[in-house]
Amino acid sequence: MTFRILRLALIAAGALVISWLLMIGLTWLGTRSESFSNVVATGTAQYFSALTIGAIYALIALGYTMVYGIIELINFAHGDVFMVGAFVAYLIFTSLGFGGAIKSIPLLIGILLLGFLVTMVVLGVLGAAIERFAYRPLRNAPRLAPLITAIGVSFILQNVVQVLISNSPVPSPQLVSLEYRFTLLGASVPLLNLLIFLVAVVLMIALQVFVGGTRLGRAMRSTAQDREAAQLMGVNINATIAITFFIGSALAGAAGLIYGLYKGNIVFNLGFDAGLKAFTAAVLGGIGNTVGAALGGFAIGFIEVAAVTTGLSRWQEALVFSVLILVLVFRPAGILGQQIGERA
Amino acid sequence: MQKFLRSSAVGLTLLLVLAACQGNNAPGGGSTSGSGAGGGSKGTVKIGVDLPLSGNEVANGQPTFNGIKLAVDEANKNGGAGGYKIEINKQDDAVNGVHNPDQGATNAKTLVADPAVVGMVGPFNSNVARSIIPVTNEAGLAECSPSNTAVDLTKTGSDKLRPQNPDKRNYFRLAAPDDIQGPAMAAFDYNDLGKKNAYILDDTEAFGKGVADEFQKAFVKLGGKVAKRDGQKYSASVDYTSLFNSVKSLNPDVVYFGGTQVTGGGLARKQMVQAGMGAIPFTGPDGIADLGTGGSQGAFITLAGVDNSHDVYGTVAGVHDLPSGSDFSSRYKAAFQNDPGAYSAIAYACTQVLLKAISDSAASASDMKSLREAVRAYVFDASKTYDTALGKISFTSTGDIKQAFISFYKVDPSLNGGKGGWTFVKQQAFEGGQ
Repeated sequence: MTFRILRLALIAAGALVISWLLMIGLTWLGTRSESFSNVVATGTAQYFSALTIGAIYALIALGYTMVYGIIELINFAHGDVFMVGAFVAYLIFTSLGFGGAIKSIPLLIGILLLGFLVTMVVLGVLGAAIERFAYRPLRNAPRLAPLITAIGVSFILQNVVQVLISNSPVPSPQLVSLEYRFTLLGASVPLLNLLIFLVAVVLMIALQVFVGGTRLGRAMRSTAQDREAAQLMGVNINATIAITFFIGSALAGAAGLIYGLYKGNIVFNLGFDAGLKAFTAAVLGGIGNTVGAALGGFAIGFIEVAAVTTGLSRWQEALVFSVLILVLVFRPAGILGQQIGERA
Repeated sequence: MQKFLRSSAVGLTLLLVLAACQGNNAPGGGSTSGSGAGGGSKGTVKIGVDLPLSGNEVANGQPTFNGIKLAVDEANKNGGAGGYKIEINKQDDAVNGVHNPDQGATNAKTLVADPAVVGMVGPFNSNVARSIIPVTNEAGLAECSPSNTAVDLTKTGSDKLRPQNPDKRNYFRLAAPDDIQGPAMAAFDYNDLGKKNAYILDDTEAFGKGVADEFQKAFVKLGGKVAKRDGQKYSASVDYTSLFNSVKSLNPDVVYFGGTQVTGGGLARKQMVQAGMGAIPFTGPDGIADLGTGGSQGAFITLAGVDNSHDVYGTVAGVHDLPSGSDFSSRYKAAFQNDPGAYSAIAYACTQVLLKAISDSAASASDMKSLREAVRAYVFDASKTYDTALGKISFTSTGDIKQAFISFYKVDPSLNGGKGGWTFVKQQAFEGGQ
């Protein structure tokens, strides 16, 4: 267990450094006439943008992959759960009277913690409720039935937010002032970007520890491996699946809150776009594999920013999905594969 | 339990369906009548209107619609036009809060199918115009846009929009086209602001890319440098920070955004500040200069955030100093308790032109069909002149206004008690048209 985490940490640190260098290299390709220090500064700024966007995709992708791992359902409503998370956070912050940057640091931390806690619990309950009412009755139905139900739930969530809150972008409070910045290798990066990345990493490590090291996590893994055998061994299948949805949706809720802080504009149909990218991330990393989902999320964020930095911004989407196709042609199970043994 | 759940789910679905049906029956459909006493003896004719009127587009569409409504109400008070009482057939082309060309085409079909519609005002956006003009052209309906600026709507390439009646133009406009608007901001950036190195970004739409192309040509011609040119299609999850990161080291001293506040203009300015480039002026066409107050739904300042809206400049493709002075503004304010928007007076003038055409052609037309054609022929008679809120105006044979104006505005974050608003900088005449 500890060995596995250590190994993961080493690999992650290596990937971070390599992708940093790669981004600087790609930036050099995009702006060849620039001086070396300028290229390093731009590449570094781009690198932190990619980490931030990637962290959001990765958090959403985790929910897709966990649900697929345990009941082999592609939960198309998950992107919209993320969107609801963004709106729940928006409602919390605005109802508390916070519309803009909070100057006092202790207050800011307090409000953010409260926001994360409430958003994640609300979204977790929403996710578990969706499972209870829309998916559980169809658990033994043909595969297509829950798939279509998931699409249905997706539209229902969009419609509810569209009618009850707004049918067009609303400005979400940017609680963390953009004046808080740090300078690294000539790049001035908002502290918010680093904060988002760190929050995402903490949540991902917590998930790994939970799945790998707790009784409930073991129940999740065993259910993923063989539902009937797990049941015979005394695992409460319904509760385990409900908890999987709770955790996946809570992570999407956190991603929604982060997205609102980062972007400053949220809209009822953002879940479709972001959800599709996150789903792609999950497949890219190896669906059913939580480490793979995180890796896939960062990879997509990285490719999106790389497209811009090499001057191919008009080709962004084609590039993302070309990479997906290439990876799947050579590794149909995704970069890390499905990890059938412990795919939850 | 299972059974209870299932039946309650069915019940819930039925309730939802019932509620939805009830919603559809609610009053307030597509057609609103011009209020006001009087009206004509010969019956009613309608002016069709297609504008984006919901969601964030409210900031664009509603003040424009109010201009039309004011003209119609005033005409009805004075006995209508040509003996007819005037009504408005109003259509909304916004889908999910953003203007939508397909919805525009559907609306145009609704309007031309209404026999009482003899003239039309709209649409607001150039890409919507591209899908509407073929429909109105086939029906021979005179269509006046207060705000479309894409060059090929009237000039080279416009025959593609008239596949049915290529020789029978029906579309004309009062806004100065982008081959005037783009270069006007280029000259403003280069001469007035003294900027020499521009980063040009567009939203890849018909209007946005078109006006950015015109800006680029003119800026280079003046001697300016283009640091980088990018296009980013707006979508719900789009991110602009990486674009701004990529130009930072090229040291642009001005940014030109081709697009509207709804297709990324507001977000782009916000993320430009995020990327640490807030001190660089952000300039753009009438798509961002909506003249809306910060905080009001869909306004540029709302979407960008008032803290990020300093050093923002925009053009409006029309005249600011109306020849009638504050008369129009005060009548508008009396009717709608609000200041006019960027295109209120121009939409008012569009309606005035159509009403004059109706009034002068009514006698010679025997039925609605011939009146529709008579109105179309009237406005394409280049010898006609019109007394409007914009002053005396006339049109070229292609349907462009001969008295083109560009007005420049700047965001002042301290206006409206710190919520922010736009202030007038200057206006420039481009007499003669093309």
